Amino acid sequence: MAESARSYYIFRNGRLRRRQNTLYLEQEGENGDIIRHPIPIEDVQDIYLFGEIDLNTKLLNFLAQNGVIVHCFNYYGFYSGSFYPRETNVSGHLIVKQVEHYLDPTKRLSLAREFVSSALYHIRRNLNYYSHRGKDVRNSLNIVEQCMDRIASCETIPELMREEGQAREAYYVAFNEILDLKEPFEKRVRRPPDNMINALISFINTLIYTATLSEIYVTQLNPTISYLHEPSKRRFSLALDISEIFKPLVGDRVLFRLLNRGVIGEEDFMGLGESPAVYLKENARKTVVRELEETLQTTVYHRGLKRNVSYRYLIRFEAYKIIRHLIGMEPYRSLRAWW
Amino acid sequence: MYVVIVYDVEQIRVNKVCKCLRRFLHWVQNSAFEGDLSESQLERLKMELKKLIDPEHDSVYIYRLPHKKYLRKETIGREKVIIDQILG
Repeated sequence: MAESARSYYIFRNGRLRRRQNTLYLEQEGENGDIIRHPIPIEDVQDIYLFGEIDLNTKLLNFLAQNGVIVHCFNYYGFYSGSFYPRETNVSGHLIVKQVEHYLDPTKRLSLAREFVSSALYHIRRNLNYYSHRGKDVRNSLNIVEQCMDRIASCETIPELMREEGQAREAYYVAFNEILDLKEPFEKRVRRPPDNMINALISFINTLIYTATLSEIYVTQLNPTISYLHEPSKRRFSLALDISEIFKPLVGDRVLFRLLNRGVIGEEDFMGLGESPAVYLKENARKTVVRELEETLQTTVYHRGLKRNVSYRYLIRFEAYKIIRHLIGMEPYRSLRAWW
Repeated sequence: MYVVIVYDVEQIRVNKVCKCLRRFLHWVQNSAFEGDLSESQLERLKMELKKLIDPEHDSVYIYRLPHKKYLRKETIGREKVIIDQILG
């Protein structure tokens, strides 16, 4: 898999097959014949399955051979899990270092602090952006800045998380000002999301999480050992840590853009069940995926690297910087958008 | 880098060459492929193609562009496939 490899998103139903040593998406046509769509395996970094797709172990083996991750989503577009092939890029030395930095509270704190600093920096950046566009978000901006000032003096992970939580809460209040909403956006509700904003945030955040996971896979880092979040069972929590940075920087901006331009509206959501869970309709999911993918491919000039890099590459670059920190090459300084 | 590859090979080898290219690039029409490749991928592809063709009779042309944005593609008539990452 090369750096140019891309994500493929499959919404239709059908069968994904290994054929002629590459990928074929097969779908039944109108008159019962099979329409085959080849996908060049060398161009695939990961695959997102939103539709009902049949596949077999032959295919999974083939994907594993080529280092392709598969992210699965259920009927409602909620993330159900990933096929994460055996790591080919392993480094025992690095895992030892990762664990060492987790076990030592000071070392762990310094990494966790970097994640929170970057997340809040980008939250403030979004608020500043809208405040320059005449939105009254001063209150939220003040709270976020106070939290940022207190980060340096936090001495435990829970303290750090509290600052982050407070900043987030203030940030979400500002959503009412940034977005023209009929109903006020009161609070973040997950599992399941209870209104359209929550549904959209959840969906976008999942995509950021999976993109981060795919980027970590390319590096030697072990995705289960994390610093801000507790490394829990059944979760790639390092991806959660790193995606904190990119949720405001990429995800929230996509969300504001889609809603403010009226690309996504109330009609794109559906309610479900007695305790109402709200989810996105299929077409809206496609729109969101397209917008996010385009954003991830946008490039900015990186002064250090002296070349243009995409947002997606910036995710991988964070992972590389963490590696450099862990093996003692240079202290980790998380991303601060400079453009 | 973005590459466009067109080939003209004897009929018995068409399928082999086509199959090989399908692993790396997007099919655009008969005997024509295009897509993003890294330097090393292109090198591997060339190695494989060299093994498949008969240099006496067949030819493969490779057009390289530093980036997709330098490609100005115009189509006359029906566009046979649309290259897209989002399927369905």
